[in-house]
Amino acid sequence: MAQLLSLLNTITGSLLTICVTMVATMGITLIFRTSNTTNFAQGAIAAAGTYVVAYLAMQYSVHYILAILIGLVFGIAFGLFIDIMIFRRGKNINIVGKQIITMGLVSIIFGAVPLIFGAQIPPQIPAFIDGNFSISMLGGELSITKHSVVCIAITAAVLTVLFVLLFKSKWGLGVRVTASSEYTAGIVGVNTYVITATSWAIAAALAVLAAVMLNAGNASLTPSFMTKIQVSSFLAGILGGFSTFLGPILGAIIIPLAISVVGWLGFINPFFQSWAEVIVYILLLIAILIKPQGLFGKVVAKKV
Amino acid sequence: MAYLLGKYVDFLTQRVTFYKSRTSLYADFEVEHLKDIDDAANRKIELRIAKNARLYATADYEASDKKEVFEGTSKLEIAAYQKKLRMRYRIEREKARRAIAKLAEEDKSGEQIKLIDQNLASFEASLAEELEAYKAKRHIAFEKSLERDLSKAKPTAQELEALKSRLTADNETYTAAVNAKREAKRAKFVRSNKARIAKLEGKLNNFQAKLKVQLERIQQDSYALPEGVILRAENLCMFFGGVKAVNDLTFDVKQGEIFGLIGPNGAGKTTVFNCITQFNKPTSGHLYLRNRLDEVVNLNKLAVHNVILQGIVRTFQNLEVVKEVSVLDNLLIAAHRQYQSNFFIHMLHLPILRLEEKVIRARADKVLAFMGLSLYRDWYAWGLPYGVLKKIEIARTLMADPHLIILDEPAAGLNDSETVELANLIRRIRDEYKCTILLVEHDMGLVMDVCDNILAISFGKKLAQGSAKEIQSNKDVQAAYLGAPEEVER
Amino acid sequence: MNNRFKNEYLAHTSPRPESGWKAHAKRIMSNPLGQFGLLGLLLAITQLLNIAGIVPRSIMTTIAFVSIYSIAAIGFCLLLGYSGLASLGTAGFMGLGIYLCHYGLQEWQISILPAFLIAGIASIVIGFVVGFVSLRIEGIYLAIMTLALSEIIVKLLKTIKGSTLIIRGVNLNFFGIPLSNNAVYFTIIVVLVMLLVGTANLINSPTGRAMVAMKSSVAAAQAMGISLLKYRLLAFIISTLFAGIAGFFYHAYLPGISPTTATILTLSMSLNILGAVIIGGAKSLWGTLVGTFVIYGFQSIFLQNIAFFNENPAFMMMVTGVLIILVVMFYPGGFAQMLFTFRLWLKKMTKKWRIYRYGIEE
Repeated sequence: MAQLLSLLNTITGSLLTICVTMVATMGITLIFRTSNTTNFAQGAIAAAGTYVVAYLAMQYSVHYILAILIGLVFGIAFGLFIDIMIFRRGKNINIVGKQIITMGLVSIIFGAVPLIFGAQIPPQIPAFIDGNFSISMLGGELSITKHSVVCIAITAAVLTVLFVLLFKSKWGLGVRVTASSEYTAGIVGVNTYVITATSWAIAAALAVLAAVMLNAGNASLTPSFMTKIQVSSFLAGILGGFSTFLGPILGAIIIPLAISVVGWLGFINPFFQSWAEVIVYILLLIAILIKPQGLFGKVVAKKV
Repeated sequence: MAYLLGKYVDFLTQRVTFYKSRTSLYADFEVEHLKDIDDAANRKIELRIAKNARLYATADYEASDKKEVFEGTSKLEIAAYQKKLRMRYRIEREKARRAIAKLAEEDKSGEQIKLIDQNLASFEASLAEELEAYKAKRHIAFEKSLERDLSKAKPTAQELEALKSRLTADNETYTAAVNAKREAKRAKFVRSNKARIAKLEGKLNNFQAKLKVQLERIQQDSYALPEGVILRAENLCMFFGGVKAVNDLTFDVKQGEIFGLIGPNGAGKTTVFNCITQFNKPTSGHLYLRNRLDEVVNLNKLAVHNVILQGIVRTFQNLEVVKEVSVLDNLLIAAHRQYQSNFFIHMLHLPILRLEEKVIRARADKVLAFMGLSLYRDWYAWGLPYGVLKKIEIARTLMADPHLIILDEPAAGLNDSETVELANLIRRIRDEYKCTILLVEHDMGLVMDVCDNILAISFGKKLAQGSAKEIQSNKDVQAAYLGAPEEVER
Repeated sequence: MNNRFKNEYLAHTSPRPESGWKAHAKRIMSNPLGQFGLLGLLLAITQLLNIAGIVPRSIMTTIAFVSIYSIAAIGFCLLLGYSGLASLGTAGFMGLGIYLCHYGLQEWQISILPAFLIAGIASIVIGFVVGFVSLRIEGIYLAIMTLALSEIIVKLLKTIKGSTLIIRGVNLNFFGIPLSNNAVYFTIIVVLVMLLVGTANLINSPTGRAMVAMKSSVAAAQAMGISLLKYRLLAFIISTLFAGIAGFFYHAYLPGISPTTATILTLSMSLNILGAVIIGGAKSLWGTLVGTFVIYGFQSIFLQNIAFFNENPAFMMMVTGVLIILVVMFYPGGFAQMLFTFRLWLKKMTKKWRIYRYGIEE
């Protein structure tokens, strides 16, 4: 019984990570489907945006909801900058080239952030709401931080809006068409420039949102604090299968959940606690071997 | 146990192929190398004869000969000098032009321009003077040297005769020596090569005997193909999930014929070819091939990358030419299985690899000449016109010493005259390479013209098989594909 | 005899093969052994200059590290440029080499040659595994899978034994002779040149062509008898082997290993190697060498000498990032393409100058 309670507590403790990963993965998927590239700069952009928010909120005492909105705008601007200034100007950049560009951006951001914001760790953004909910059950206390609950709400809202846009609006139709073939999309009259620019803008904003949620939930802010989440989002993407939009989101739920559940099994043997990630990665490898296109992915076959 | 035996048989077969390939490699190499030896020897002899001719000529000459030589050489040298002077003139001319252009803007009176032109003209004159001075200098030098030469004693007629006979004798001895050496080299090489080949053949026979023993032990119930039939498909079925692409198809292809496969789109024609080449493993049914060694092979047992070893080659509907490399490299890729060297040899570029490259490149050149692609030999395949790419596809199939060639819509994208060319090409290939050709085609003109035997299918099922006339008049085929006679005539 | 007379007759014979130093140089340059041998010679001379005191230690260290990373980058060039397979696990494979060198020398107390063999064999085994996996999984999925694999490997290596131990050339013995840093450097150069030549040979051989065919069209390659399994395995084995060798030499050159060494084994390093290959030119070995230098050596050798960067080290990282982005944006084919474009530009400029100077001849 006590074990079950601790399992539930572990799950609720990991809810924040799940939300953050879901939001980050949505950004990664959006860029992967429309620009055909893995965005290695996702974490760096997120961190930079969070620095902006942290300084505005803490140093300059801007009301922190306003600060967060400014951070999101910063993210949008950055995303637009990347697409318009860099990707469009370049000549025939192929897929790997785009990945390298994002990698170069990481270097630039990692160099620029300490320069602009100073090298010390900024004070943390306060949690959205302090305190925990405590529910008595199963002979003990099940606690969920209120911050997590708010984050769940935000995540649900944002993702629902995005999915509604993706599947019901004209913009979403354009995104889905560009995702299946950029060249043909251009031919049938979709303005691929607008699509890629808005996708980058939204993805960057999502990244900043995810990082802000994470930072407010007690993670200290360094330029590379989103790296773990970024790796998780890539893995979530391939677990779910990049050929759909929903798949990676589901993957983003599964992976952090699996990690914390396997960690919980540490009560059997501390081995599980320290090796939780490795075990989940191995399970992920096995899952991909069984379903090479991801759990929810569609198989693409070429006609010869 | 049977599995191990199977693996042993595979090993033996692979060794047999290896040694066969090596013996043929050395046999081909022998031809090339002997040619090289001959060329080198002949060149040596030529050089020697030329040298002796020069020696004699420099001894025996008249003043008039010298004058002739002088005229000839001086023409060349004066031309060269003139060119140099011309370049100097051009520099001056350009400077003058630029100056004039600048002046023209300022719209000065014609005086300065006239001045510039005058300067240019005087410069040209001075250059002409230089040229004349140069010519004169040369002439004087020549006269001086001629005087000097004439003052020396000229060899008498006897001495000239002696020189001539000496040089002729020298020519003959040298030629004899070189020929002797050449014969020795040839003999030595042929001997060592034959020894090498003999040793390889020994090993080859050894392995072949072992293989025979093993095959008899296994007692493979080899299917008996009737005489003259090269390929038989028996109850071939290929289902992709619920889609029955090929449904219970049975047909025979005779050796040396051109076999056409026609049918509406989606009838399963390319799928049949994919099944034959094992790109898709058939859901059920049998495929038997009579290969070059007159054995009957069950195609379903082969892996897709081993099908080429049985002599089956194919082209693709959407041209799959490797665009990143040159045309020659595309052919070398097609000959990939003929290289018997492993990747260590490749990493170190050992001599055996150079030998193989030499022989196989010679083969590739022959194929390129046959297809008329020699011009494109070293060009990158990227950006070449569609017709050339199609020819490269076909050339690729010829590289692998084909036994059965499968052409997937070879006339797609070709106009009428090109299609006629293609028909002739197909017949030439069949005659020259003595192979069988299967083709899928929508262009009825080509099919009826070139094919001996035609199979019409629809929705994966056989409609009719026969000669062109029979197919054209078959009611089912007309209904499904060709159209009834009234429609055709219009 | 009158020279001119002779010369005129000589003019009518067949052209002789070129002799003289120009032809010799051309022949050496066109042979991979010649090209890379010269490079190795140059690097060895640098080391000798260092021993003589002319070249400072810091430059030597940078060159050594660039050479080490080049070894990994060469393998990656073969994998990405010629076989078209993506892998983000280079960091993990290098880590394998680093840690096996450390364990071999420190924990198991074996001498350097057996340790090298063990590192090589382990890398080959991992390469085998990844190769088999690559038959089933493709593209971005494979790339991220190798990332997960490398994270697993790094975690495994870090926690098998806590590694805070430092060794200082104590156990670096080659048949009993203690190896100095300089000796390791020479070994690195020799190995680099050998691997460069081997890879260049491989590229110009049927194996290299088979890899390109496999990259270009799987169906056509299979139809021409190229076994996907064999060549994918080969590509991955070579790439992981080279990365393992690079890691081994990394530790041999810098024997002090600490927990912080493990922090370099991240996705960042894999991306750096990927970047080195891409900005060099995916199909060019020399380009890969230049790319590795730009990513790993440019900062230390050039930028550090500029006072501005010395004071603001953060800018160096930014400059490298900007450089990478600019190269990829405007020269997607990397430095190899840049060189090609430069040569064309040079030809055009020469022609223009000639027209300016000599005018157009009617």
